[in-house]
Amino acid sequence: MKKMDKKWVLLCSTAIAAVYAAGYYTTETQAADGQPKPYMANFVQSNSPTSTHTDVTSRQTQSRYKDGTYTGMGMNRRGSIEVQVTIKNDQITDVEISDFAMHYSERDVVGLPEEVLQNQSPQVQNVSGATYSTEAFQDAVQEALNQAQNA
Amino acid sequence: MRKTKLYMDTVVDIQVVTGKSNQAAAEKINQAFQAFYQVEQACSRFSPSSELMRACQNVGTPVEISPFFFEPLHFAIEMARMTEGLFDPTVGKVMEKNGFNRHYLTGDRMDSPAADSVSYQDIVMDRQPRTLLLKKPLVIDLGAVAKGFAIDLAAQELKEFDGFLINAGGDLFAGGLDFYGQPWKIGIQHPFQKDQLIDTVEITNQAICTSGSYERRNPAIADLHHIVNPKTKQSPNQWVSVSVMAPFAMMADAFSTSSFLLGGEKGKQLIEDANLQGIWITPELQLVRTGGI
Repeated sequence: MKKMDKKWVLLCSTAIAAVYAAGYYTTETQAADGQPKPYMANFVQSNSPTSTHTDVTSRQTQSRYKDGTYTGMGMNRRGSIEVQVTIKNDQITDVEISDFAMHYSERDVVGLPEEVLQNQSPQVQNVSGATYSTEAFQDAVQEALNQAQNA
Repeated sequence: MRKTKLYMDTVVDIQVVTGKSNQAAAEKINQAFQAFYQVEQACSRFSPSSELMRACQNVGTPVEISPFFFEPLHFAIEMARMTEGLFDPTVGKVMEKNGFNRHYLTGDRMDSPAADSVSYQDIVMDRQPRTLLLKKPLVIDLGAVAKGFAIDLAAQELKEFDGFLINAGGDLFAGGLDFYGQPWKIGIQHPFQKDQLIDTVEITNQAICTSGSYERRNPAIADLHHIVNPKTKQSPNQWVSVSVMAPFAMMADAFSTSSFLLGGEKGKQLIEDANLQGIWITPELQLVRTGGI
């Protein structure tokens, strides 16, 4: 084993430790109890309707979306997609892909050059690549947001 | 057990290998997703309410910031120092001008005030207390570190499982062993054939991040993509893809981006000097590997 550049490893572990030391997931019980975590509480507070009055970036006092979880459907080149968008205090807090699979089917592997095929097995399902965007999900998310929109 | 959610304009997929109940695993996975939520709320430059954008409204006065924002920014500035500003977290305004200014969920666009000429030297950070001071109006971009940091925090939440895999849009951390009790097999995306792989690696308790020019291209200007040299305001194109393996995703993320920016031999040297493993792909699809893989 070659030695790793210690400085960068140390920076990374210090970074993680700093988050925990600041009270993020202090104890598992606390997290499981659903008690607010310090920074989340801070965030939610700063976006509550009362404080947006003083927020320079806010244009209106009326909220844009209704709280709740909304389902949206869309299509991409692999078939249909279903997303569940959760909104709380006008913030999109969660977008879960409820029906979608990024996979490399047998069809995709056929036609690969010989030298590439040697290096891989068909069960390789996890792929590292340049970060792909969420474009393929936009229609589904939009459909969910339309339902959440305040009149 | 597997769940997929959207964060930071990408798809985050978490899988765990466990003998435990599905409910226990689901709870842990949700906790791991919280890391992405928290880091995004802190570090997004696409939302006026993020800690980052609120901090960027204060010039000349120190503001106290949370570790979700402080730590990745601190790491980015260290990387900026090492690369003498080639990697620079103050590139945010250049990115905005290049059209990377739209929030992926709401569609809202950002147009932020910024001085014409800025660099990482216009940022002053203090650890006790944790503060940030901007010398000039600027827009911080943590696109090359924040996602990696979220992956590392999520990995902390999952380390009790026999195996787990966090895939954030092509940046991954693989913990333990896969569903077959083997090291995780990770494909390297073929730069030009969307559904194909160009190589495969096996990793355990390691991150692999890839920087490439083939996704998120600029719609208006050919040759421009999401990785921009702050000095020339151009996108480097000597490598089409750089993958780096490291014990932390934030490290793999920042080093792959820096290597991509440096290009050529210098880009390779950076990874070798840090004793990391890397795979580079040339525009002619030639593969170059270092670090004994």
